[in-house]
Amino acid sequence: MEKFSEILFQPFRDFWQWFVKFAPNLMAMLIIIIAGLILAWLIRLVMLRILRVINFDTWSDKVGLTALIRKGDVWAKPSDFFGYAVYLLLAVVFVMIGLDALQIKVIDNLLSQFLLYLPRALSAILILIIGYIIAGFLSRGVLIAAVNSGYHHAKLIAEAVRLLFIILVLAMALVELTIARGIVIAAFSILFGGVVLALAIAFGVGGIDAAKRIIEKAREEKKEEKGRDIEHI
Amino acid sequence: MEKVDIIIGIASYNNAKTIGHVVRAVDAGVAKYFPDKKAVVVNSDGGSTDGTPEVVRNTAFDHSAIFLSHPVYPAHRISIPYNGIPGKGSAFRAIFERAVEMGAEACCVVDADLRSITPEWMELLLSPVIKRGFDFVAPLYNRHKYDGTITNSIVYPMTRALYGHSIRQPIGGDFGFSGPMAEFYLKQDVWETHVARFGIDIWMTTEAIANNFKVCQTFLGAKIHDPKDPGADLADMLLQVIVSLFNLTEKHFEIWKNIRGLRDIPTFGFRYHVGLEPVRVNVERMLDIFRTGVKDLKPILIEILGPGDFGEIDALIGHPDKDFRFPIGLWVRVIYDYALTYHRKKMSSEHLLKSLVPLYLGKTASFIMEAADIDHDGAEAEIEKLCREFEERKDYLINNWI
Repeated sequence: MEKFSEILFQPFRDFWQWFVKFAPNLMAMLIIIIAGLILAWLIRLVMLRILRVINFDTWSDKVGLTALIRKGDVWAKPSDFFGYAVYLLLAVVFVMIGLDALQIKVIDNLLSQFLLYLPRALSAILILIIGYIIAGFLSRGVLIAAVNSGYHHAKLIAEAVRLLFIILVLAMALVELTIARGIVIAAFSILFGGVVLALAIAFGVGGIDAAKRIIEKAREEKKEEKGRDIEHI
Repeated sequence: MEKVDIIIGIASYNNAKTIGHVVRAVDAGVAKYFPDKKAVVVNSDGGSTDGTPEVVRNTAFDHSAIFLSHPVYPAHRISIPYNGIPGKGSAFRAIFERAVEMGAEACCVVDADLRSITPEWMELLLSPVIKRGFDFVAPLYNRHKYDGTITNSIVYPMTRALYGHSIRQPIGGDFGFSGPMAEFYLKQDVWETHVARFGIDIWMTTEAIANNFKVCQTFLGAKIHDPKDPGADLADMLLQVIVSLFNLTEKHFEIWKNIRGLRDIPTFGFRYHVGLEPVRVNVERMLDIFRTGVKDLKPILIEILGPGDFGEIDALIGHPDKDFRFPIGLWVRVIYDYALTYHRKKMSSEHLLKSLVPLYLGKTASFIMEAADIDHDGAEAEIEKLCREFEERKDYLINNWI
């Protein structure tokens, strides 16, 4: 009977001993997570202050960042959005650090993988955001330059530039994330090269007659009209 | 460095064909009108590859051919390469440096590609400084009614409305100025901006007015020069000039917001009309770019002008070429809205100002058609109407400046 009670209560004793040994880790995890969340919240508040002082929302409007987040159906101010994004990121990081305090091997492995991948994920997000801004800027510059040069398909040219640049940015982000690196590089080379070649052929072959007409017209105009060109300044 | 009385600056870049004539006119002018003054011709060159500095040094002038009564001595000449951003403004900066180093009493700058410069230009540009104590002498020219459209449709009316000074050619390019004025220019920290390029002219004029220097203008006759470099893009010229104009508007808000009315400024020189070269214009192409621009740049233009004014501009694209007219009230609102958008830094200044090109061409085409059957004085009357419109709507700019 004594043996039976031993068998019956031993697991409870073991569990209690394990719990007594594990409880500090659990406490540490809870403290790290709660303190981390409070710290993340405070960092968010400081960041919001700084973003407002430097007129981040106006800058975002100017460079097209606001338009980008609106496309993602986010209607908060860019400063609020980025403040919240940073808070979430920090919260995830603190939760992972908290879980590490439990010293469970599976979680340790998961955490080390997460921490190793985190810089790459952040770099990819940064590449996408900066790439989008640059694509918008380049496309607008090309549109204005093409309009001022008298091209009738200025919008098409600007959109082609935006598309090519976005393809380049997406490929860069995927390479950074190490997702099927070989396939991404090969696909990008084929796609980018193909688009450029197609455009070259389209403008080159398709535009021969148009270019001829433009040059002939310009020559005729020069022959017909006497005098010099207008001076703008 | 040896002290001199007068410095004549000539900014050049590949002007070997014309600079010899300019140097001879300058030489003769200084010898004839300021024989007792010590003068130096400073050629500030941007790295010409056609031998421009050599032409400056070697240009010979037979003084005995025009000065029969007394012996004269040619002005000393120096040719210096300038540093910094390539452009007219950087070249002028090197001239200001020499003027200050040499303690010049009076200076003038003239373009290196002028064909119509005569020795009298020296007297007209330098005498107001030497004999009448003026600090800044702006030029007045006879120009073809279609020429100087950036001046006529934007820079002159806006400068006049803001600062109340009727300087007709604020970006004329040939100026006279005093030694203290050169020193003032040199001290300003603008040499890494568009002032280093085409923005220099409006900057010199506006700073002289805004800082209460004694300003006048002088009639030089016709301004005829070599055809401009075809590579000099209209959009770049417009950008450099208008960015400088808007930067100055920004800088001097506290001054111009209180200025009302128009102050006449002293004008020297004997005014006369001269025959001018015919000018080639392609209104059809200007209107084509205007219409394409209004259609393709719609989101940008709405952001700058708002839906109301954009709607009015959009309605213009349907008008047949012969009936096309850009209302002056609308044009003034367009320019003030561009100035306000620049002030609020809502978009890249390059994109902002280059998006003005199609509208500017629409306005220019409209002016050319309006002025087709009127003479020079009639064209001036049209410009005067535009100036008054700028003046009347100045409160719109002030009230929306915040």
